[in-house]
Order: sequence, then structure tokens, then C-alpha cells
Amino acid sequence: MLEISIFTILTLFMLGGSIAMIINRQTLFSAFGFLVAMIGLAGMFALLDSRFLALAQIMVSVGAVVVLSMLTILTINAKRENLPYEPNKYKWIAVSSLLVLPIAILIYQSTTALYQSFSTMEPVSSKVVGKLLFSQWVLPFEIVSILLLTAMVGAIVIARKDKDNTEKEKEQL
Amino acid sequence: MTPELFFLLASVLFSIGLVGLVSRRNLFVLYMSIELMLSSVNLLLATFSKVLGDASGSVIALLMIAVIAAEAALFLAMIVHIYRKNRTVDSDTFNKLREEVENA
Repeated sequence: MLEISIFTILTLFMLGGSIAMIINRQTLFSAFGFLVAMIGLAGMFALLDSRFLALAQIMVSVGAVVVLSMLTILTINAKRENLPYEPNKYKWIAVSSLLVLPIAILIYQSTTALYQSFSTMEPVSSKVVGKLLFSQWVLPFEIVSILLLTAMVGAIVIARKDKDNTEKEKEQL
Repeated sequence: MTPELFFLLASVLFSIGLVGLVSRRNLFVLYMSIELMLSSVNLLLATFSKVLGDASGSVIALLMIAVIAAEAALFLAMIVHIYRKNRTVDSDTFNKLREEVENA
């Protein structure tokens, strides 16, 4: 009973956050909705007894990714006229929801059909996850570390201010 | 407490992300929709990891979180770069390639 109520509260948080994310015009409010959804997801992981995953979700997704995107939004500081002009936003959202509905039903049906063939429902302990991560999954782990390094270097290179770009900016100002 | 609820939640979140990706034009909202879709898959992985009693699913979800972080860094850097060039976060303005093809 307690689990069900926690699940309901977290689900309301996640759905409200993600709907606020796609509806809001102001980008920062969208980011707040995304933040709420990510915290709800961490709660879901905790509810699924995978503590390590919940901690990683809080630390990486909430602590790093969402904060980084909020900082970028604040740094860019787009004025109202620089935001896209979307007069028919709700109409588009309604139409695409109708189009996406079969996909949602398909995902739900296929995952439940998969689930019916096996069920043990044992908790996943952090110890086992750590052992697996450094034995069976050590190669993907190393590849992810290379990926993170490349992404860091790439982000610095892409976001760096070029000399001629800076001059163009001065002209625009 | 049945896994069906988690499956339902994951599919609904994935669809919300897809709707945001299709119907919005703000680059930040597009980026957050992609993140939401990835996270819903993460939730599915964690649920299956528990249902199967196999910790490998949790490990994959963990690696996925790292990939999401890498993707976020690159995407945000690209948005900053694009904003410096065009002074807008509207995804409809980035059609230079199409214009090239039409003019050729």
C-alpha cells in the first residue's frame, strides 16, 4: 500500500514535470519541469531497489546534466524575440499526441508480453552491480570513459569563441 | 506492486518525449525531450533488471547515464555555438543545407 502511494506521487511528479517541460514557452521553466521529472526518476529507481542507480541518477542527471543545461540557458539569456515564434503550439502537441499514441500502446504491449515469460522480482544489490561492472562489463565501462573524454574535448572545441566570430558579434551589438 | 505500472509509466514518458520532439521548435526543449526519452528507456532497463533478478540491466542503465551526460555536454555546446552564429534557438532556421540543394 505504501509502495503504491509513493509510486503514485512520483508518477504525478514525473508526468507533471515532463508535460510542463514540453508546454512552457519560457525555456527555464521547461528546465525546471525536466528537473522535477529527473528527481522523480531517481525516486523510481529507489523504489525498484536499485540504490546505486538512484544515487547515480541524482548525482549525474540531476546534479550535472540538469544544472549544466540550466546554466547554459541562463548564460545564453535568450530574449523573447530570440525564442521561436510558435502560435500553433497546442494544436501541434495535440496532433502529435494522437500520432504517438499507437507507439505508446505498442511499447506497453510488447514490454508486458515480454514480462509474462519470466518473473523473479529479486532486489538488485549494489555489490553485485559493482562486481559486474568491473568484471563482465569492464570493456563498455572503459569505452564510456573514452566517450566522456571525447565529449568533453569536443564540447570545449565546439563552444570555444572563434576570433572572427567574436568580431562579428561585436558588429551585431 | 506490479511491473506493469512501470512499463506503462516508461511508455508514457517516452511518448511525451516524442511529442515534445515533434511539436516544439525551441532547441532546448528538443534536447530535454531527447533526454527524457533516454531516461524512460533507463527506467525500463532498471525494471527489467529487477524482474529478471539480473544485475546486468542495472549496469547497462548506469552506462547509459554516462552516455546521457556525454550527449548533454555536446548538445549544449552545439546550442551555444549555433546561438552565437544565428542569435536564435529556433530549430526551423537551420535549413541552410536545404537551401543549397534547392538553389543547385
